[in-house]
Amino acid sequence: MADRVERLTNLLALLLETRRPLTLHEIASELGGQYPDAGQARRAAFERDKASLREIGIDISSETFGGDRAGEMGYWIDRSGFELPNLDLTDDEVRALQLALAATRPDSAIGEEALWKLGGVGGGVGGPIRMHLPELPALPVLRSAVANRHPVSFTYAGATRHVDPWGLLLRDGFWYVIGFDHDRSDRRTFRVDRCESEISIDASVEFERPDEASLEGALPANPLLLGDEVEGAQTALIHIASRRAWLVEREVGTDRVQDRRYDGSIVISIPFTNEDALRSWVLGFLDDAELLEPREVRERLVNWLESVS
Amino acid sequence: MAQRPATERLRRLLIILPWLMEQGEVPVEEAARRFSIGVDDLIRDLELVSMCGLPPYVDEMVDVFIDEGMIFVGVPRLFTRPLRLSEVEAFELLAAGRAAMQLPGADPDGALARGLRKIAVGLGEDDTGLLVVNPTPPVVQALTDAVENGHRAEVRYQSSTSAEPALRQIEPFVVFSSQGNWYVHAHDVGSGGLRTFRVDRIESLSVVGNAENEPPLSMPEPGRWFADADIERVTLRIGPRGKWVYERYPVDEVSVADAGGWVTVRLAVTSQQWLARLLLRLGDSVEVVEPSTMKSVRAEAAAQVLRRYADG
Repeated sequence: MADRVERLTNLLALLLETRRPLTLHEIASELGGQYPDAGQARRAAFERDKASLREIGIDISSETFGGDRAGEMGYWIDRSGFELPNLDLTDDEVRALQLALAATRPDSAIGEEALWKLGGVGGGVGGPIRMHLPELPALPVLRSAVANRHPVSFTYAGATRHVDPWGLLLRDGFWYVIGFDHDRSDRRTFRVDRCESEISIDASVEFERPDEASLEGALPANPLLLGDEVEGAQTALIHIASRRAWLVEREVGTDRVQDRRYDGSIVISIPFTNEDALRSWVLGFLDDAELLEPREVRERLVNWLESVS
Repeated sequence: MAQRPATERLRRLLIILPWLMEQGEVPVEEAARRFSIGVDDLIRDLELVSMCGLPPYVDEMVDVFIDEGMIFVGVPRLFTRPLRLSEVEAFELLAAGRAAMQLPGADPDGALARGLRKIAVGLGEDDTGLLVVNPTPPVVQALTDAVENGHRAEVRYQSSTSAEPALRQIEPFVVFSSQGNWYVHAHDVGSGGLRTFRVDRIESLSVVGNAENEPPLSMPEPGRWFADADIERVTLRIGPRGKWVYERYPVDEVSVADAGGWVTVRLAVTSQQWLARLLLRLGDSVEVVEPSTMKSVRAEAAAQVLRRYADG
């Protein structure tokens, strides 16, 4: 049997060159013996080749004939949908993309192949400053849904969510998808790495993205406000020992310091919506931080400690 | 060696051919190196496509021949343009580029910004929906400057083992962010070795002179910079609510979750205090499996914090 690459190349060339759709019978006779003669085996081999070409990004178009060949399928490949449009990138722009990949996604085979297509090369070493981006298979699917304004559905925290994805946001090393959650009838933010299923796209619908769908404001700057609920923030008062005071003041900002005590310790006041996140943050300081208020949250924190002591 | 799959060979060929056509002639070795493919594999695949063709234009489709280590390409008819970028590739470029644009020193009108705009336009998509916000602490800029100028810096650093921040001299080589935290990989003058420091633990920084040590040949890999260090390991059982631990911290291994969502995780422990904080935050969502010497850490830490609340 001939090398399969040869048959695929010939099929690709034939369907690119043809001026009219070709039936499978015509394709097989043009390719002179490269496909099996028996109808069923031929169809199976052709379907396998179609799938292989689709896998590398080439779609075979088809239409059903009418008239005296009614019911037969004709195939061709649309050249414009298969070739890279001329992006007019200069050499220094391609090199800048290479450096960006080296700084954020070193060793990415996908990135290297993309650079080859743009006439560049992969590899290289990032500069003195780098930011490693996580790799998540859901991301390209979500970006495509965002760009084409298609709704998506996925499992999150055990439930199926139907979301109009307004945008993708990378912050502090994590990717978030922001959009309108139809099940909650409200705007929601989801951590992409916490999606528990594959993302499915509903390509039959195109949603409207509201003008006020500002992504930048979608994530509160204070991680203690991150959670499923956005309303009803409470205020916590926390006493921070002097030796950690500088660290905390830098993290939360000087305007959150409510009191400075003679021993160098500080009391800060911060809003929170997520009690788990607040407790976790406070306990991260061990006995260098003490949650003063709210009283009932303080009590639950003490119970938490007693249960493991 | 096993035959590479047909789809992978064809995909690579469709990338190589347009480039060859632009070059006209090129040494086989150079083409093979550029596209990370073996010389023999490249020659075989090019000879194969040069024989492809359909009646009546047999042999005319891709006019390639190889002689004395050179590839010659004739007048191209087909495969003159590379394949369009796949969705995955487009995302890879845009996300990497946007992230790099957030790093200190990025020029909003520079080559990267221009390149990204052209790609977004070329894809014909409205790409306002992809955003990268990665605030960089001011110390990151100061450290980057020190790397670029080959400076030695003195930092006030809060290590996880000591009670108070202490002065130490470092010669930074690379500043990087991984899983949301910023780190600097540097020569630690005091200990005479390479160390990775957390940037958010640097209270202040000043330049004290020029660096005397050469950067190492390889830099730490994301998530693996503890791997070669002689750091104690602990094995934990972590419940579903403790997922953030293995999402945020570099771990050696994570087991498959059991029916209740619990996993076994092995990770580096930089200090007992660090472990104490981690265990307290996790509460009853964690158990120490080994070493047995660490099993009492959580209870002791809880008791220590409770004393503070008892006083209050």
